[in-house]
Amino acid sequence: MSPITIGLIGIGVLLVAFIIRMPLAFAMAFVGFCGFVYLTTPEAGFSVLSRTIFEQFSSFPLSAIPLFILMGSYAYASGISSKLYQTAYTWIGQLRGGLTMATIVACSGFAAICGSSTATAATMGKIALPEMKKYNYSDTLAAGSVAAAGSLGILIPPSTIFIVYGIMTEQSIGKLFIAGVLPGILLSLLFILTVAFICRRNPAAGPQGDHTSWREKFASLTGVVDTIILFCGTIGGLFVGFFTPTQAGAVGAAGAIVIGLARRQLTWQGFLEASKDALRTACMVICIITGATIFGKFMAVSTLTFAAAGWVEGLPFPPLAIMGVIIIIYFVGGCFMDSMALIVLTLPVIFPIVQRLGFDPIWFGVIIVLVAEMGVITPPVGTNVFVIKGVAGDIPLETIFKGIFPFLVALLVCAAIIVAFPKISTFLPSLISY
Amino acid sequence: MRFGNFLNKFERLNRVVSGGLEWIGVAGLLVIAAVTCIDIVGSKVFLRPVPGSVDINGFSQIIAIAFAIAFTEIIGRHVRVEFFVSRLPWRAQGIINSFTSLLTLALFILIVWRSFVLGLSLQASGQVSSTARIPLYPFAYAISFAVIPVCLIFLVEFLRSVAQGIKR
Repeated sequence: MSPITIGLIGIGVLLVAFIIRMPLAFAMAFVGFCGFVYLTTPEAGFSVLSRTIFEQFSSFPLSAIPLFILMGSYAYASGISSKLYQTAYTWIGQLRGGLTMATIVACSGFAAICGSSTATAATMGKIALPEMKKYNYSDTLAAGSVAAAGSLGILIPPSTIFIVYGIMTEQSIGKLFIAGVLPGILLSLLFILTVAFICRRNPAAGPQGDHTSWREKFASLTGVVDTIILFCGTIGGLFVGFFTPTQAGAVGAAGAIVIGLARRQLTWQGFLEASKDALRTACMVICIITGATIFGKFMAVSTLTFAAAGWVEGLPFPPLAIMGVIIIIYFVGGCFMDSMALIVLTLPVIFPIVQRLGFDPIWFGVIIVLVAEMGVITPPVGTNVFVIKGVAGDIPLETIFKGIFPFLVALLVCAAIIVAFPKISTFLPSLISY
Repeated sequence: MRFGNFLNKFERLNRVVSGGLEWIGVAGLLVIAAVTCIDIVGSKVFLRPVPGSVDINGFSQIIAIAFAIAFTEIIGRHVRVEFFVSRLPWRAQGIINSFTSLLTLALFILIVWRSFVLGLSLQASGQVSSTARIPLYPFAYAISFAVIPVCLIFLVEFLRSVAQGIKR
């Protein structure tokens, strides 16, 4: 059998391993190792296994991931997320569907200091869902909106997926982060418009909240000060080239601790729990990257990646049509597996194709993140949906998935706008020179 | 029944051990954050960065991640595709789980073994990190040691799944 055939068989075996519930990270490492041994020698396979684990676990660029996750965990433990929600609620809570809109605004704000969609959804779900229940919001709208708005966590910087994409494709993480700002704002607006549309058609879905005075509104603005300080101090420092991504993450984590202590919100127990939680998430992400790296080495010796890139390049279709197919592949793949795993697994094959077709790598990074956002809310493997199910145990999964649908349409519209007007994602990165 | 009790006790012990190892991981993570912050202040304010901070971060990350794998698995945070197996009958689930846990057990036995062999070879060649001149071999041994509880987790899962698969 040719190496390319072995590579194709390897992909098939990997999919079977996923379906039979093997942890994704370990499945990629196992199949990658076996394929590498088959195509080379057992000694070479053993060496790839142990050295890749050693190299990835000790990778300095990857250390930005645990630090940004740590920053989000400490921000939650410091009560920053509740204050954000209170501010958004005070400003727009009295509108029809206002609590849901406030949740979306608060998710956008929290996304600016947290790089994970599940963390954003879980954090805001705990705060917003009981409030919406109190005001008789429909479960469909309440749960669907939090799950969808949580996905903003990976588009608005910082973002773990942008960090991984940047490392794997050798793109500037600062540029990727800033590229996510305008699409993040656009998507937040589209989500808010979606809520307005739903509540216009069915006013009972999102009744008005309590009225607040202008004095209360302005007084509530103190609730966003902490977020602005953290965002400007970390992501701002990264944008102007003052910090590396790892340094920005560390400053953010330390800043969140200082804010939590200054506001007397962060307890010793909260600090320890937040540290453990961040470590577990970071461990899961880095294991996925390590597994995908081992599988990627198998793909490289099988020469399948090069053959696939050459084949796609030779197709008699315009580049945009091929990009459309790539987006559909990611969308369908994201329905069935974790978005991070899907991206690290497929990028070594897809990215060379994207480059050969002449697309901007930063723009493609934003597209990838948008499709990953769809992946975290679509059935059957919508991670955010399961997170929301965990937070609001009494809402059936079907109801949450039903509630997701209008927001999925908004995500598709956002992706279409970014494809049609790439400048939305490439304008801000063009302003920074590193 | 006695075998089931033995597995329960063994699982509880492994959970305690893995939970203890996770604290070592937490310490590693906090070292990364602390060293990076000290390095920023040192390099930006006093123009004196921490010597070898990149190496220290890399090695702390090995400790953080390797020692967290076991407990992360115990609490189910390593992502799996759940939608297919969960719809199958109880016994079929047991048969499939026994197969997947056996494969994962084999992978982690390989990792324990080969990381130890890597440690031996790094020790024999005397390799050190590029800036701080820290020996590399203890960290390869650390990976080998830290994933032993992961092997035990999948061993217990394998035995449980086999029992589930053969139970009428």
